[in-house]
Order: sequence, then structure tokens, then C-alpha cells
Amino acid sequence: MARHLVPVFSWLAGIAVAQQSLPAPAAGAVDYPSQIAPLLAEHCGRCHGAERQRNGLRLDRRAAILKGGRQGPAAVVGDSTQSLLVRKVAGMADGKVMPPEGALMTAAQLGLLRAWIDQGMAMPGADGPDDGTHWSYRAVRLPALPPVDDAAWCQQPLDRFVLHRLQREGLRPSPAAPRATWLRRVALDLCGLPPTPAEVAAFLADTAPDAYERQVDRLLALPSYGEQRAWRWLDLARYADSMGYEKDGLRRTMWRWRDQLIASWNEDVPFDRFTQEQLAGDLLRAATLEQQVATAFHRQTMNNTEGGTDNEEFRCAAVVDRVNTTMSVWMGSTMACAQCHDHKYDPFTQVEYYRLFAFFDQTEDADRDDEAPTLPAPTAAQQARAMAIAGERAAAVAELRADDAAVQAWAEAQRRVLSAFDAAAPVASTWQVLGPLAAADFDAAYATVWAPERGVTNDRLQEGLSWRPAPEFVDGRVHTWRGDNSAWYLYRTIASGAAASAVLSLGSDDAIKVWWNGKEVLAKKVGRAAGADQELLPVELTPGINTLLLKIVNGGGPGGFYFDLRRSTMPPELVATLMLPPDACDEAQRQQVRDAFRQTAPDLAPVRAKIAALDAELAALAGPAVPVMRELPADRRRTTRVHVRGSFLTQGEVVTPDVPSCWPPLGDRPRNRLGLAQWLCAPENPLTARVQVNRVWEELFGRGLVETVEDFGAQGDPPMHPELLDWLAAGFMTDWSMKRLLRTIVLSATYRQSSVVLPELLARDPYNRLLARAPALRLSGEALRDQALAVSGLLRERIGGPSVMPHQPDGVWLQMYSGDRWQTSPGDDRWRRSMYTFWRRTSPHPMLMVFDAPSREVCKTLRVRTNTPLQALASWNDPQFVEAAVALAARALREPGDDLPRLEAAFVRCLLRAPTERERDRLLLLVRDERRHFAANPAAATALVGPWTELAGPPPIELATFTVLANVLLSLDEFVTRG
Amino acid sequence: MDPIRERMRQLTRRWFLRDSSLALGGMALAADLLPTARPAVGPGRHHHPPRARNVIWLHMEGAPPTLDMFDRKPVLDRFDGKPCPDEFLQKERFAFIKGHPKLLGHRWGFQRRNRLGVEVIELLPHLAQVLDDCCLVKSMFTDQFNHAPAELMLLTGAPRPGRPSTGSWLSYGLGSENRNLPAFVVLMSGNLPSAGKSLWSPGFLPSVHQGVEFRTQGDPVPYLADPAGMDRAQRQRLLAAMSDLNRQHAATAGNPETDTRIAQYELAFAMQMSVPEATDLASEPAAIHELYGTTPGRTSLANNCLLARRLIERGVRFVHLFDSGWDIHGTGPGDDLMTQFPKKCRELDRPLAALLLDLRRRGLLDDTLVIWGGEFGRTPMNEERDGSRFFGRDHHPHCHAMLLAGGGIKAGAVIGATDELGYKIVESPIHVHDLQATVLHCLGLDHERLTFPFQGRDFRLTDVFGRVRPELLA
Repeated sequence: MARHLVPVFSWLAGIAVAQQSLPAPAAGAVDYPSQIAPLLAEHCGRCHGAERQRNGLRLDRRAAILKGGRQGPAAVVGDSTQSLLVRKVAGMADGKVMPPEGALMTAAQLGLLRAWIDQGMAMPGADGPDDGTHWSYRAVRLPALPPVDDAAWCQQPLDRFVLHRLQREGLRPSPAAPRATWLRRVALDLCGLPPTPAEVAAFLADTAPDAYERQVDRLLALPSYGEQRAWRWLDLARYADSMGYEKDGLRRTMWRWRDQLIASWNEDVPFDRFTQEQLAGDLLRAATLEQQVATAFHRQTMNNTEGGTDNEEFRCAAVVDRVNTTMSVWMGSTMACAQCHDHKYDPFTQVEYYRLFAFFDQTEDADRDDEAPTLPAPTAAQQARAMAIAGERAAAVAELRADDAAVQAWAEAQRRVLSAFDAAAPVASTWQVLGPLAAADFDAAYATVWAPERGVTNDRLQEGLSWRPAPEFVDGRVHTWRGDNSAWYLYRTIASGAAASAVLSLGSDDAIKVWWNGKEVLAKKVGRAAGADQELLPVELTPGINTLLLKIVNGGGPGGFYFDLRRSTMPPELVATLMLPPDACDEAQRQQVRDAFRQTAPDLAPVRAKIAALDAELAALAGPAVPVMRELPADRRRTTRVHVRGSFLTQGEVVTPDVPSCWPPLGDRPRNRLGLAQWLCAPENPLTARVQVNRVWEELFGRGLVETVEDFGAQGDPPMHPELLDWLAAGFMTDWSMKRLLRTIVLSATYRQSSVVLPELLARDPYNRLLARAPALRLSGEALRDQALAVSGLLRERIGGPSVMPHQPDGVWLQMYSGDRWQTSPGDDRWRRSMYTFWRRTSPHPMLMVFDAPSREVCKTLRVRTNTPLQALASWNDPQFVEAAVALAARALREPGDDLPRLEAAFVRCLLRAPTERERDRLLLLVRDERRHFAANPAAATALVGPWTELAGPPPIELATFTVLANVLLSLDEFVTRG
Repeated sequence: MDPIRERMRQLTRRWFLRDSSLALGGMALAADLLPTARPAVGPGRHHHPPRARNVIWLHMEGAPPTLDMFDRKPVLDRFDGKPCPDEFLQKERFAFIKGHPKLLGHRWGFQRRNRLGVEVIELLPHLAQVLDDCCLVKSMFTDQFNHAPAELMLLTGAPRPGRPSTGSWLSYGLGSENRNLPAFVVLMSGNLPSAGKSLWSPGFLPSVHQGVEFRTQGDPVPYLADPAGMDRAQRQRLLAAMSDLNRQHAATAGNPETDTRIAQYELAFAMQMSVPEATDLASEPAAIHELYGTTPGRTSLANNCLLARRLIERGVRFVHLFDSGWDIHGTGPGDDLMTQFPKKCRELDRPLAALLLDLRRRGLLDDTLVIWGGEFGRTPMNEERDGSRFFGRDHHPHCHAMLLAGGGIKAGAVIGATDELGYKIVESPIHVHDLQATVLHCLGLDHERLTFPFQGRDFRLTDVFGRVRPELLA
């Protein structure tokens, strides 16, 4: 190796000692994608990457390295000592060390770089010889099972990979967890709820060899399994009950998608079909209602309803979110980086980003305030009820009988009434008008009682207001005027020759009040444009002068009214038929009269009322209108262009839907969302299955096999157990069954290990990457609350339905633009599982936030697990937990006997094991102390348990004593942790 | 100085910061993310020696007409009521102004009460006297002309929700100095700002870095108070029992997280005392209440100014005050220059002057960076929305003034200038990203190196922009 005159520095990290040699090249084959690319990206990428090439040098392409920059070629293939890149990084060229800013390479890294150059600089992808692709872009192949020295330990084939690796490290797996611990673990993981003490006892007593299997099968068949899967999916789908952005208006129907999601998981819909339904259910042949509802997955994007915002800007933001979310959830790729420029580390160009954008650019939704398009989606229960109602309605309609004699008698009576009107020959005077009378607002204009309402003195000044005749207001036409927030009065007399019945046909813009002969007969506060027959008011004409006063109140825009005097509420054609002599009618006219009889005959009123009630119920069963994805018709399709630097205002070249070229081609699949969904789960797709099994692994082990669950690209971490990952992925791809995947993992010996952490193991493998034990994981806020509700007996396990509002501190929902209030749900809805808690993006429930819930504004593939004092405060003092403590206390006090069995019952309920003697003694001491305290302060006992009268029963001092015991139990580390 | 040794030292510093982010996925180190679980801030966490330890940022929500407050324009008075120059309207998009608006002269007089000779509106007599402690920046600008995006831009560096707030970045970068109080506290007087809680969101940072709203009604912190019927002694007994049981469990399970939890529970217990103590304004002497104009128990900017001082004293890193009502459009007496604006000035004048004075007297001003301002400026033209007869100004992103004072900031300086009508900057334009870079700099952090990896790249407060502005620094 060449010696150089210039002193260079040793590359032992952290120590700077003068030395005169390069570190030796690394031994063994070097892999560019996993070892060299991240190195160059981190240390050199800022100045010599895709975005910037200082001195003309670019280091992320092989040809570019060989071509070099202003100082000549950066590398000599096969000779790292002569490569400028190495010498610069080593500080051996012109005395300067590269990079000038940021971390220097360590000796080991420089050794790797040297080895890579010495070995021929293989760089797959862009322009290098294709001797390897980034690991995650290689097709998934089922790996052979490695040899192990303890096959008996293995419960599942996957255990061989783990054990093989442990053997290499000279480690042994941990012993199996106690059975009760495993059952609690698997129940919380699969269903999000702990087992009951009875279930634990049954399992402990079950000595059959397949006892574990049967427990898993039991859990996978529970409806709560689907809830738990769905809840996991909600963070990815950025599910919320509000639209986000500044106004954050409420989305009151999105729960319907959540219901569909729960059902999908419970049916174990294969993940490839599930993918098609979530992304493109509307495009499936003969798409069912449920498949269309599933597409609301991508309607969870935020919607900006602030006035003056550009809908196209926020439509584009939603499409961008769909691209990023799809690539993150399915492909584990950070495509978002390519929105403004070519990806700096992964081989995606900006043009390719907009090709993906083009898949999602053809749906009807456009950030409209009404969230169109929406789909009325009745639930299964609503659909069943609607079917039943259809039957009841048909039966009721059959009851509307019309026999000839009754019809004749009715027709005769009608004729008399109509004739009386003709005989009375009413004559209306010209309208007198008074207005507009302005008020502060619409409500005030409607409510203010101006002089005419206290009695009209026509043709005179009334309290400073004066009437004027309005001959232009002829009957049977809509008349309009201007004047925001103002009232108009219209007055006329109607002279009648005799007593008769008549009907006023009225229309108004907006609100209307009507006085007939001085008596108020209508008051209707509405906002609408005026039209004929909006109101049909039957009135009695008295002989002589009748008076009519209208008050029309306008909010904004044009105001106006409509008036006509009718003989009857019946349509004119029917009236004409009724006036004919009976024998002059043809069959059609007789049928017309029969139909009218059915609609109006008093005897049939109860049947009609029943039909009307059924119709109203049917209308209410239309179901929530769920925002869905719907493809634009052919004549309205958008032309997608690149958004230069990510700005929707700067449109670049036209692009059509396609997938990035570093991945397998789309082939002859349709170039729409459905084709993309098919491609995502195609056998040749290298990522989807790996990403899904990795996320499941993260869920069960607290850390993914690929730790960067959101990034399988060059910047992500390579997998610790690549064969295990592929074995799981290949298996998942055979049937895409999530239940089978979970079953395989939770029955493995790896999963069954104890979570006890031995100090030497902790020192050796603090993050448990080698899987020599099971992890202890702090439960999510949702699971913690659900567990507290479950052990206290409060939990109400109803599946699905609209979101609910359990207790939340006052004042959390302070929104500028909205009168929406958080109102604690009535009845037992406040004890539903936390996944149903109403989710407002600007203000998620504070307890969940304290436990690291995301805001759900965008997709989040990983929740961190922090450990903060605010969490302690929540589990001690959140009324939701206090209520659970009272309920748990009441439950314990129902046990026969004295303190000991009661205390043990509560303990077992929470921790699913008997207390140790020390634990028991400590808690007994607490119970005795607190009983003495409450006995001396009975008011304190009442104050503590008093708010929860629903749960009361035992004497307050006893209940309070056990409540503080329960408060301790519900906060124990063992309780808040899944061990 | 040995440059290589220095480089290596920097390198370890950087790795220190980066390590804390890498611990994200795991349980074992999760506790390390917690400012409360760390020792108080050490020099290893700074990129360079800090000039300030704490920040008090008073955000005037709605954007005050700083033109009328700190940037007197005699020419504007001369052309009062005349149509504005045509070039003001070219390629310009206003929030509300329609047609060809008229110039609007100042409606209030000015005074000179400081050595600086800066003319300050007559409505701020107390503040005018402490201006010598401040750096008045007349040439701030932003890219956004609506409240929510402009607030997000100012405080999170990007105009859409989802990025961490400045206080969250500081909590992440430096942690808290008080184990019993959060690192980042939010105090509000008036309505929630337009951009809502996104303004103190941790974005993609761990949630522990979220700004904690100290509410003035009910518990200052969620779930702080024990349930009715439980007293301190009882909570302490419960805590002792919990700790005993948790310790027994820790001995068998060996999970280091259990030890952290035991510590956090003890911390929670301490917070139940320290937060009410810190927020107890009634314990301040009468002279202080006189100085600030405070009334304990009320929700006011004055109370929040005093509370901010108390929190800073106790080691809270970043106190963010939000005061609403500054959106002076002139659509009615509730938002005009003649009625609403003087009311807001009165509410501001004495408390802000008192805060600066009080901090200086206590020797806290050297360590505390005080920032005052809104999200953008207001037009020199009268808005006259729908023919309104009330005087007011529309949103104006091209220039506004801000006040900086304390830790690391040049006192008694006036930076930048606007044109003779106050429409555009003519000297030293300072973008909000520059302000953010400079704030971090004062706290000993390099805005290009305080990063967090998310969605495949390293994010920072200043996005990909911003530079430290030496002219602002002492």
C-alpha cells in the first residue's frame, strides 16, 4: 500500500491521532445498495448528489463517478488507493478532508468504500453492471430453512431463522413465558382486549397438545379481532371524524367506512382483494355497495372548506396525499420526496412521481365543501329493516280499499264544496305593501313585531310606516324584491258572496307568516326561493269581507312571494274531473277519482298515516352518505402534468399513469387505480408482502424486522433477519390471509418467549434485534382504556356504528368557526371501545394524545411509545379511569368474604395472576390505611365515588377504599405493559 | 485550537442529537427522548455556545398594523384618501380589498420616548420607554397572506399543518431545564388562533415535544388534579404503594422501562405541586401586579406575561403567548383602527413593557429571548370592505415589524426599512425563515443541523431555506 508524505489521520472514530496510512479495505463482498449507497448519500450526497453537483462531481451514478468532476475521475476501478474519492475522504489529497462539513467517514466506512472500488465498483440500477438490486427490490423468494441445533425448540418454521441467528451469536432463546402471560399477550395483540380470569383458568387447565392453537383460533374468530385489525389500519388510513385544515368541519358519516373495514378483517378478506377494494372498489366489475364504501380509504384526505381557498390546490394536496399514503402503506417507500424533485436516495424521478399521481388524478372529488361524491350506504341492519318495511308498506297499500259507493259519496261531497266556492265568487282587492323593514339580521327581522302584526289600519300611516298599493303583484306569479335581513308585509281583502272553503297557495323567499281574518294561521322560518304551492293553506271564506296579511322575511339575496287563491288543495285536473257529472266520466277519470279518494278519504287516514310513517322511516334508512372514490366520465378526464417544484400552479410535461421503472412493469393491467391495486399485490411485486408482514412484526415485537417500517429504500435499515422476512412474505403471498399470518407468528416459539430481560442480554442486545426474548410493550392509549373498561366490567362490546363521545375535559374543543360541542354520549356509549371515540383532527381526545396517538392529518405508519408524567396523570385522574376504578372496586366488593379475597379478585382481574405474598401484604396495608382515612373523612369517600352513582351499591367508605386500590392497580407497570 | 479535534467534537455532538431520534422505534431508549428523564441541558447538546436559554414569544394573532405602531410614514398621511399607486395592484392578490383602494394615513399620533429616537404610536406610552432594550425589525416578510398558513409559516416553517412548531424543535434539541415542568408551554388570551393547535404541534417529532397548553380555567394541564375526595397525602400513599409494587415487578421482569415509569410517576406527583405553584399569580407582590396590570384569576395578556416570566424563571424553555383580536380590517367597530385597535394597544402596552422591565431587573433578559409580532403586515390602503365606513387595513405579506429583545439580540437597534408608503421593503428584507434560523442560533443551535428524519429525509424548522442574520445579533 502506498505511503504518503502528507500526514493523515487515523479513522478510529472519536480519536484524532496522526497516522500515515489508509485503513485496510473491508474483507468480504461489499453490497452497493445496502452498504455503499447510504454511505455516499450521507457523507457526500449534499454536494455531489442528484440535486447539487459541486465542481461537476456526482457520486450516485457509476458513470458519473468514473467521469468525475473538475479534478478528474473520482475513482479508478480496482484500485482504491489511486482513487481521488478515497484520497479526498481520507484527507490525503491537497490537505483537505472531505466532506468539509458534517460527519467524516469512520475507518470502517472508508474500508468499505475501498473494498467496493477494489472489487469493481458494482452499482446496480442506473448505469452499473446489473449484479444486484437494492435488497427490497429483489423478488421475494421462499428461502430454505436453515439448520438449527435444537429443532425441538421450534414451534414454527420461522423459529429456525431466529434460532439459527442466535446460534451464530452464541445466544440461547429465553424460556417460554408463563401460559397466562402468553394468553394475555396474544389476546391483547389479536383482539386488543385482555382475557378474563375464567378464560385464563380454562387455558391453564387445558393440557391438550393443541391448547395454544385452539386459543388462537378462538381469538381470531371473535368480532373484536376485526376491531383490533381495523384500529391498526386507522392510523394508516388517517381516519378521522373531521375534515382537517383550519375549519376542521365534522365528518359525520365516515364511521360507515370503519364498519366496512371491521367486517373485512373479520371475514379475513385476502389482502390482495382487500387492497383492490380499499383503492379501487368502485372499479371492480359489478362493485357491491360495500366495495364502493371501502374506497373511502382515500377519501380520508383533508378537505379545506375555508372561504376563498383554491379548491384545485387542495384537491392536488389530497391526490399527493393519496400517492404518498399508498406508497408508504403498501410499498414502504418514501415517494413523497419525489414530489418536488428527483428522489435523492431512491431511484424515483419526479416524472415518475407524477405518473403515480396520474392514477389518482381521475376521480370526481375536488375538495368541495359537501365532500361530493358521496354514496348513501345503509348498514346491514338498515338494509334489513328497509326490506321489512317494503313488505309492511305493500300490505298497508293493499288496505287502501275503495268501493264504488264510498267513492261516489265522497265525490259528491267534494262537488258540493267546490260548487260553494264558485257560488261565493270571491274577489280579492289589490295588494297593499309595506316594506322593506330592515333588521340587524334574519332572526331579528322574523321576530320583530312591526305595527301591521298588531292590527292593520289600511291605507294610512301606521307608526310611521306607510302602505302602498301594488297592482303589479298579480296572482299566480312569483314576485321578487331586494333587501337583506328585512321584512315585507302584504295585505289584501277578499270579498265573498257566501260561506265557502278555499285554499291559499303561497310561496315565500324566505320566511313567511300568514294571518287570515286577523288570526295567525302560518309561521314558517325557512330559507328558500319562492315558488308556487310551497304552502297550501285551507281557509274558510266568510260572507262579506275577509282579510289576509302576509309577512315575508328575506335573509340575503332576492326576496319575494307567490300567491294564488284556489278552490281546493286538489290538483286542477282532479277538480275538473270531480265537477263532471259522474256518468260523463271515462274509466281513466273514474280511476283518477278512486285514487284521490284513497289519498284523502278520512276513513283511510290511519292507513295513510301508517304508510307515511313507513315512508319516513324508509327515507331515514337511506344510510350515511359516505364520501367515496368515483372515476370521472370519459369526457371529463383530467390531463395530468408534472407539477414543477411541486407547485400545482406550475404545470410541466404531460404524464400518463405508470409505475416507477425500478419496479416490475404494470404490464397489461388497466392504467387506473384498479390496475395499480392489482400490481401492488402481483406475485412479482417485491415490496407489498414484505412491508405488510414487517408491519405485523413491528406490532407484535415492538420493532420491525426492517426497523424503518416506513422506508424500505436506500435510506432505510436493511433487515436484521432477511430470510425470515422473505419466508413470511412468501407465505403471506400464497393466500394473503392475515389471520393465517398472525396465527403462524403468535404460535411460534419466538413469540412465546418470556419477556423477562436479563441484564447480560440487555447489555448484549439492548433493542432485542436478535429476538432472544419477547418484548414488553407499553399499551396504546386505546388499549389501556379498553383494558380498564374490560377489567372493571364497564366495557360495552357493540361492534361498529357512529363515533361516540366519552368523557373529555371541558374546553378542549374550542373551535373558532364552529358551534360543534363535545357532548358526552348518553347511556352506555361512553363505555365503548376507544376506536369509536370521536376523532377531531385539530383536537383528538387528550388522553389518547398523551399516549402518543397521532393527529391523523396524514398517514402515520409507526406510533412511538413514550413514557411521560402526563401519562401517569391520565391513568390516575382521567375521569374515564377513575370511573373504571370505581367500577372495579364495586366488582371486587361483590366477592364474598373479607379484604383478602376481594383484593385478590381485583388483582387477578387486572394482572391475570395471583399476587405474591409481598404484593398481597403491601396492598392489604394500603386497604387498611385508606379505610382508616375514609372512616375519618367520610365526606372524602362520598366525594370520590359520588359522581358515579350508576355504579354505587356498597357503602361509600368501602367503595372508596377499594377505588383507591383499583386506582393503584390500573396504573401498575405490569398493567400498562403487555409483557 | 486543533481543528480536527474540534471537528470530532462536533461530530459527536451531532451524533448525540441523531441518536435520540434513532431511538424512536424502540422501547429501551424511548425514555431517553424525554427531556424530563435527562439531566438538565448540557453543553454537549448545543452546536455552539448559546446566547439565550429561554424564549418568550408573544404572537399577536390576526396581525397588528405595525405600520401604525412602529413605522411612521408622513407621506402616507399626506396622500390620505387618495387612490394608491397603480403598481400596488399589479399581480397582487388581496384577501379582501376590491377595486382600486385608497391610501389610509395614520389615525393616531406618534411619540419619541426612547434614546433610539424611534417614533412609537401614542397608544403605547409604556412600551415606547423600553424600546431601548429592543431590536426593532421593520423589514420582516412572509409568503402567505391568510392567517392560518401565515401563522404556520412563521411558527413551523411551512404553510400547512404537520410540521413541528419552533418550541417543539427547541424541546427536541435542548430538552427542559426543569424536570417538574414541560419544556414548551402555550398560554392563550382570547380565541384559538386560526391555525389552531397545529401551532404548537410536535408534527412528526415525538409527542412529548408538543406544546402544553396551560389553561386558565380548570386544570392548567390535563388530568393534573386528583379526583375529588383525594388529598395530597393520600395520593402520596398511593404513589408509594405503586412504586413498591412496580419495584417488585422491575426486579423480576428486568425491563428498564419500568424504572423509567417509576421515575415518571414520581415526577407526575411533583408536577401536581409544581404546576399549580408556577401558575399561582396571587403569590406575586402587589408592586408586580401594579407593574403588569394583572388581576389573578382572569384570562388576559397581562396575566400571561407575568405567568411567562414565572415559567421562564422555573426553567421552562419556551413560552408561547397567543393574543387574539389584532385583525384590524375595519368592517365594524369590533375590528377597526379607531375602537378595537386602541383597545388592543392598551391591553398590550403595560404588560409587555413590564415584562421586559421585570426580566431586566431580575437579570433574566440576558438569558431570555423575547419576540413580539404577528403573522404578517397590513396594507397602507384602507380596506373598505363592502363600502365599510370604518377604517382598517387588509392582510399584507410584504412587510411588517417585529420586536426582538434579550438573549443574544442587539439592543437598541432598528433594522431594515420600508418605502415611504410602507408598502414594500427597501432595506434588509428578513424572511420569517431567517428569523427562525436566528432564533435557533441564539439558543446555540444550527438550523441546518437540528434535523429529524421523517418520510425518508431530514426535516428542519427552516425547511430548505433561511440564514442567520448577524445584523440582529449583539
